[in-house]
Amino acid sequence: MMDMRSHVCWHVYGLLYRSTRDYPEAIKAYKQALRIDPENLQILRDLSLLQIQMRDLMGFRETRLKILTLRPNSKVHWLSYALGVHVCGDPEGAIGVLDSYVGTLEEGSTEFCRGFESSELALYKNRVLSEIREVGNELVGVKKALEHLEEIRDVVVDRTGWLQAKLSYQLQLGMFCEARDTCFLLFQRGCTEDHRVHGAYMCALVNCDRDTCVQVQKLRGTGTLATLRPLTDTERKILIDAYEDSAKDCDGSHIQNGAPYDVHDGEGATKKNLAARFPRSAAIKRIYLTLLSPSSEQFRTSIDKYCQRQLIKGVPSLGSDLSAMYLVEKSNGNVGYDRIHYVLATDPADVKLHPVYQQLVQLTDSYIHSLSSQNTFPNDSTEHPPSTLLWAWYLRSILHEQAAEYANGITLINKCIEHTPTGVDFYELKARLLEAGGDIQQAADVVDAGRDLDHQDRYINNQTTKTLLRAGREEDAKKRIAMFAIHEGDPEQNLYDMQCTWFELELADSCRRKGQLGRSLRKYMSVVKHYEDYHEDQFDFHAYCIRKVTLRTYCELLKFEDEIWGLPFYGHAAEEIVKIYLHILDTPIQSNDDDEPDYSKMTSAERKKAKNIARKKKKSQEKSDINGCKKSEDSSKPTDDNRKKGKRHPVNEDPNGLELIALDPTTEAKKFAAILVRHAPKNISSWALQYDVSIRRGKMLMALQALCKIKHIDGNSHQLFARTVDFSLKLASTATKGHPTSEMVISTEFSKLLNNQSLEGYIQSAFKTVKAVPMSSLPLRVEVAKAMVSAHIGTSDDALSLILDSELVGRGVTVNSCREALQFIESVGPDSAGLKEQWKMLVTAKFPFVKDL
Amino acid sequence: MIKSKKTLPVEFGIINADNVEQAIFYLAFHIQLLWQQLKKINQACLPIAYAPSFYQELVSKNPKDGASMELRQNLSKFAYWNGFAVGAICSKVEAIKDCPGRSRIYIMTLATLAPYRNRGIGSALLDSLISYYESHATDTALSTVDEIMLHVQTSNEDAIKFYEQFGFEREEFVEGYYKRIDPPDCFVLRKKLR
Repeated sequence: MMDMRSHVCWHVYGLLYRSTRDYPEAIKAYKQALRIDPENLQILRDLSLLQIQMRDLMGFRETRLKILTLRPNSKVHWLSYALGVHVCGDPEGAIGVLDSYVGTLEEGSTEFCRGFESSELALYKNRVLSEIREVGNELVGVKKALEHLEEIRDVVVDRTGWLQAKLSYQLQLGMFCEARDTCFLLFQRGCTEDHRVHGAYMCALVNCDRDTCVQVQKLRGTGTLATLRPLTDTERKILIDAYEDSAKDCDGSHIQNGAPYDVHDGEGATKKNLAARFPRSAAIKRIYLTLLSPSSEQFRTSIDKYCQRQLIKGVPSLGSDLSAMYLVEKSNGNVGYDRIHYVLATDPADVKLHPVYQQLVQLTDSYIHSLSSQNTFPNDSTEHPPSTLLWAWYLRSILHEQAAEYANGITLINKCIEHTPTGVDFYELKARLLEAGGDIQQAADVVDAGRDLDHQDRYINNQTTKTLLRAGREEDAKKRIAMFAIHEGDPEQNLYDMQCTWFELELADSCRRKGQLGRSLRKYMSVVKHYEDYHEDQFDFHAYCIRKVTLRTYCELLKFEDEIWGLPFYGHAAEEIVKIYLHILDTPIQSNDDDEPDYSKMTSAERKKAKNIARKKKKSQEKSDINGCKKSEDSSKPTDDNRKKGKRHPVNEDPNGLELIALDPTTEAKKFAAILVRHAPKNISSWALQYDVSIRRGKMLMALQALCKIKHIDGNSHQLFARTVDFSLKLASTATKGHPTSEMVISTEFSKLLNNQSLEGYIQSAFKTVKAVPMSSLPLRVEVAKAMVSAHIGTSDDALSLILDSELVGRGVTVNSCREALQFIESVGPDSAGLKEQWKMLVTAKFPFVKDL
Repeated sequence: MIKSKKTLPVEFGIINADNVEQAIFYLAFHIQLLWQQLKKINQACLPIAYAPSFYQELVSKNPKDGASMELRQNLSKFAYWNGFAVGAICSKVEAIKDCPGRSRIYIMTLATLAPYRNRGIGSALLDSLISYYESHATDTALSTVDEIMLHVQTSNEDAIKFYEQFGFEREEFVEGYYKRIDPPDCFVLRKKLR
C-alpha cells in the first residue's frame, strides 16, 4: 500500500526508477521524498549521485552543500562539495572550500604528511588553482599554481605528475629556461619515450608562444612541435643541436644513460645533447628524423641509418612508423602564427608524390639490390643474415601498398612467403594487398592460411575474422573468432557480452552489404547499447573516486564520459544507422507478413499510427505468451520474473531487428544525426547525414547549416558538391513559403555557397576546376559529371571526359569509387559502351585482382 | 661444396607440446597448433609430403609409443631465427626389430629453409639431439638406445656429407624405399652410440 506522505515510499519509488535507468523520474521521486524528510542523508546522497550522473551540476552542488551542512565532520562531504563547486565553473570557490576543509583539521593530521591521499588532494587543489582566470589576467591562476607546487612538494608522491604540472605552467608563463630543466628532470625519471615531454622540451628550446605550447601539449602519439607545423631555419638549427647524435664526435663512453645533470651547468650543446645523454632512447632518434628537412643530405643519411637498424632487427611496423613522416603543409586560412600547419598525407596519390616516400623507395630499392647480391647494405662490408633481405622486401611491399601499387606489392610479398613460409606477418600483408586490390575472397583465404600457422595468435585471428566478414563468410568468421571466445553457446552472444565492438561493427557491415537491414540494425544498435553501458558505468565511480581521493582522474573521467559519443566506433554505428533508416525511408521494404499493412502507400502520420497499432498488437501478444508460459511452468523460477520485466538478452530478442525496422525511420535518423553533429562536429560525414535527414524532413535552414559546416571543414568535398546541387534543386521545387526572414537567410547564405553564381555557373566552374587539377578526387569527378548530365550542362562527352581523362592519378581512387564511376558511365546511355570498356581497362590495370567489375 | 657463411645464433623451441595442451583447453576444434609451421618447413625443404597422421602423431597428447612429453620435446624441436621458425628436427625412439629389448633414435625429418642454410642451423639441431642423448643416456627411456639412424636418398650427397661430419656411417643400400621420388633408393646412415 502506498503512503503518499512517507519518505520511505518515495525513496523506494525513486530507487525503482533508478533500476530501470529512468533517472529524471528517479530524481523527481527523491526530491519528493526530501520534501517530506529534508534531512535524510541516505536520500540526499542517492540524489547527488543521480545529479552528477545526469550532469545537473547546480543541483549537485546544492545537494552536496546540504549534506555537508548536516555532517561537516566527514572528509568525503567536504571533497564532494568542493568538486561540486569546481564543476560548476567556480575554481576560486572550490579552493575556498578545500581551504576551509584544511582549516577543520587538527595539527599533525595525516592530511599534512606525505601520502597517497594527501598527495592526490594537493595536486587536485593545484589543478583547480591553475584554472582560475581573471579578466585581463588569464595567467593569474597558473602563477598561483606554480607557487603552490613548491608548497606541496614534500606532500606529493606522484613526482612525475608534479613535474608535468610544473612543466605545463612554466611553458604557459614563458619561463623557458626553467621549463627546459624540468624536462630534463622528467627525462631522467624515465620519460624519454614520452613524446609530450619532448614536445614541451622543443617548445622551451625555441621559445614558442603560449598557444603553440598548449597545442603541442595536446598532441597524441608521436606528434611534437616538428610534426605540428613547419619549423623556421633558426628553430630547426636549435632543435637539431639538441637531438643530433653527436656521441661519435666526442668520447661518449663515460656518459651513462641518464647521467646526473647539473641544472646549473652552462648551456653548451653537448651538455644538453639528448642523444648522447640517453643513448638507449628510441624516441630521441625518431624525433631527430622529423627535425631534418627531407631534401637535406643529413636526412638521407640519418633515415638510411634508421632503416638499416630496424631491418636488421626485423621490425614489422617500420613501414607504418615511417608513414607518419609523410607530412604536407596546409594553410588553414588564418593569418598569423598557425597559418600553416602539417597534415598527414594518406591518399596514395599524395603519398606517391611525397619527397620522404620517394627517398624511402630509393633507399629500399638499393637495399634490396645490394642485400640480394652480396648480403650487405650498399657501401658496407658487414654481412647480414638472410632475414634482413626478407624485411627489406617486406618494407618495399608496404611502400607499394601505400602508393596503391598492388600487383608489385604482391610480387614482393610472395617472395617473402617463399623465403620464410613460417612468417605470419607476410600472409597478413598479402591479404591486405589483395583486399585493397579488389579480391576480398582470396584475401580471406590467405589471411586464414596465415592464421593457421599459429592458433595462439589472437591478433591474426581477429584479422582473419574481419576479412572473412568483409568477404561475406559469416559462418567461417564465427568459427574463427569462437576459438578465442568461450566454447559453449553462440559466439555472437559471447562477443556481445564481452562488448566486442569491432566484431559487431564488421558483422553489421557484412549484413548490410547482404541486404539484411534488420539484422544489421540490430548489430549496430548493440554497439550503441555498449556505449550506453559505458556511460552508465561511470555511476560506480561517483562515490568511489571521491572516497579514494583520485579527484584528478575523476574529473578526467567525467570529461571522457561527456565526449564518449564522439568516439569513432560509436560514430561508425550511428552513421550506418542513419543511412539504413534513410534507405528505409526512401525505399519502403515489402513486408513478408501478410497481415502487416503496406506502409509505403500511407502518409507519414498514417504510417506512424498503423505502426503503433502493429507494435501494440505484437506486444500484447508477447505478453500473453509470457503469461501463458508462466502459468504452465513452475512459478518459483526467478528467471521468469526477469523475463517478465523485459530483461531478456538483447541479442536473442528480435535478432533480425524486425522491431527496429518497424520504428519510424525519420525519428530514428533524426535522433542519431543530432547526436553525430553534436559530438562529432569535425567529421564531414556527420554534417552530410544531418543534411540528408533535414532535407527529407523539409527543414531547409538546418540543411543549409549542414552545408555551410561542410564547406568550413573542406570546401572541396564531393559530399558538399553533390548536396549543394541537390539543395538548389529542392529549393526550386518546394513551393511552400517559410518565414520571410528564413527565406532571406536561405537565399543570401545559399548564394554564398554557390559563390554568387547561378547553379549552372556553379557546376560549370566546378567542371573547369576539376578538369584543370589532375589530383581532383574521383568521387568529386563523378559528382560533377552527374550534375552536368542531370542539369544538361555541356555534352555527356564532356562529363565523361572528367572521369576517363583522370587516368586514375587523382585522389580517392578505390575499388568502390571506381565501381560507382562505372555505374555512372553505364547510366549515361548506350553510346558509352566503348568508354565503359576503356574505363574497365584502366581500373583493372590499377586493381589487378578485381573480379566481376 | 658451398662456401660456409657466417653462423647464425639459433634459439631452440620445442614443437609446442605445452601449447598443444593449452590448445585443447582453449581452442576446442583444432588441437594442432604450430605443427602447421613444421609442415610449411617440410613442404619447402623435403621432396616427400608427409601424411597428416605424421603430424598428428607428433603433437598427439597420447602418442602410440608412450614417450613422455619431456622426451618428445627434446627429440623434436624448431630452430628460430629472429622470431621465425626456420628449421626443425623430428625424431623418435623406436625398437630395433632384430634385437629385442634394444632401441634406437630414428630421425624422421631434419630440415632448414633454403635461405638459412650453410649457417649451422642443421648442425645445431642435430647437436642438440646428440647432446640430449649424452646427458640423459641413463634415463629409462634412453637406456636401451644403441644408435641414431636415418634414411637418406642416394642422390642427396650434401646430406650424406653433413651426417658424416657427425660420425654417421653409410650402411646398407635400400632399393625402392621411396615411392614417388626419383631415385627411389636410399642409404641407411647410422651412428653407434655405445
